[in-house]
Amino acid sequence: MTAPADARLPRMRDVYLAGTGLACALGLDLPASVDALRRGGVRPMPLSVAEGHAWPVYTLPAAPTATPWLDRARDVIQRVALESGALATARTGPLFVASSSHDVGHREQATHFGGDVLEFADRIALWLDWSGPVYAVSTACTSSMNALLSAAALLRQGEADDALVLGVELGNRLTVAGFGAMQLLAPESAEPCGAERKGLVLGEAVAALHLSSTPARWRLAGGANVVDGRDPAGAVADAVEAMCRAALAQSGLRPSDVGLVKPQVSGSPANDAVEVEALRRVFSPLPPMVSFKASIGHALGAAGAAEIALLLACLEAGDGAWPQTDYPMDEALQVVLSPHAPRPLRHLLTSIIGFGGGHTAVVLEDGEGITA
Amino acid sequence: MSAPGGPRHENPAGAVDAAHAAWYTVAHTVVHPSEPGWRDQLAARLGQRPRRIGPWAELALHGARRCLDLAGEPTLPAGACLRVASLSAASGATQACIDQCRSGLPMPFSFMQSQPSQLLAALSQHLAWRGDASFTVGRDPAAVRRLAETEAGPQGLLLGWVEEGEDARSEWWRLMPA
Repeated sequence: MTAPADARLPRMRDVYLAGTGLACALGLDLPASVDALRRGGVRPMPLSVAEGHAWPVYTLPAAPTATPWLDRARDVIQRVALESGALATARTGPLFVASSSHDVGHREQATHFGGDVLEFADRIALWLDWSGPVYAVSTACTSSMNALLSAAALLRQGEADDALVLGVELGNRLTVAGFGAMQLLAPESAEPCGAERKGLVLGEAVAALHLSSTPARWRLAGGANVVDGRDPAGAVADAVEAMCRAALAQSGLRPSDVGLVKPQVSGSPANDAVEVEALRRVFSPLPPMVSFKASIGHALGAAGAAEIALLLACLEAGDGAWPQTDYPMDEALQVVLSPHAPRPLRHLLTSIIGFGGGHTAVVLEDGEGITA
Repeated sequence: MSAPGGPRHENPAGAVDAAHAAWYTVAHTVVHPSEPGWRDQLAARLGQRPRRIGPWAELALHGARRCLDLAGEPTLPAGACLRVASLSAASGATQACIDQCRSGLPMPFSFMQSQPSQLLAALSQHLAWRGDASFTVGRDPAAVRRLAETEAGPQGLLLGWVEEGEDARSEWWRLMPA
């Protein structure tokens, strides 16, 4: 293997997260989601995909699945984009639609199989009355993280002043059945780094990240994407390490500067252990860690954006809104998921690992954290 | 670039180059699945037949390998960027999965092959390369290339546009900043 390298974010203009939006199992917007988390969260619902094959899924508390798929998608996406504040811009910046499943749910429902990869993204642009360039990003679970890095690169180089990144994973049988066929799903619940973790639980989510060159509280300090194909379906320790080191280098930070890590850990028996081992190579000791997979499930291509939106909302709420661990942790991993938000906090690293050997991380800086 | 749905040019690489004067093309290649024996050529070049990847990814691999050979590079430099675009992506595998779902669970490899990211893993594996790779597509091929250049560093970019179906082809550029 050649040495890892990444230089996605040359230091030019600063890029900020001007606003976020989220619809997930916890709620159809961020205040509702944070409030549900504060009250102990929600449980996944069983979804049957074939006779004798049902798995739990964290589904949106939105219109029932009997609603035409596109109508439900339009309502949720418009709502989340509006919450992010991006619709208050001229809507001429780049729009990135990140997904692993796109509109497969519609194609299943309509028994229609036409169009192309961009058809859904173009439809979303119409729903949002968005006239800027439209891109579809599909790198499985890392999709919205890569979309974030791409959008940030455009803003940093002055190609645009605002951009909207949408992570979209909405209900369909194909994804659940596919992951089920690969024997990657837990039968009951997701237990990241848990002693009895049995796999991941999928989740629906639509997340919006409004990026801007105008200063805001959260600055995107850096990021890195490292693809390592040695394990096309799992984490590679060297790649996790390379991802972290590249993201820190891009941010001009040392490992000890990071006060919180939001890793991928989804409850996979093998991958959680590989990831934690690799994180320990970079961070010694490990900073406080947090996971939302047991709260909203693994939202695949939307996961990166969804978990960033929820994490920042929890940090900003600052009143005990934080995911709690209600299962025994794997003592062999020697990991503690922090029971509360660490204070003070200036820099955090959030990462996603996915199909196709993708390992992607971003580092965010809290402009208010220095005084917290 | 001359992707379906996008602008077409008699000399697509040249037309796009004119809009990106700060970059130059080290190598450019187009391969079509109608070329006889291309799978055997790919297997001979790699020393083995690619396993567990679908026809779309295999065609992409063939084009990428040929482009790098044309550029005289056994693999990509560590700091290079890899970008793949497609309007069809692996639509055949996705359709097969949906069909399989109607009567039960899909085959695991069919499901994996429906994800464009599997191509990135295959390229990483066969090039023995680890780095920044992504699948991003837009209607305007010049904008796709512009975005890729924006993200790439001094080691340049390997950019591919790979389609299956009626207009199947695997077109690749090895690009370097001037």
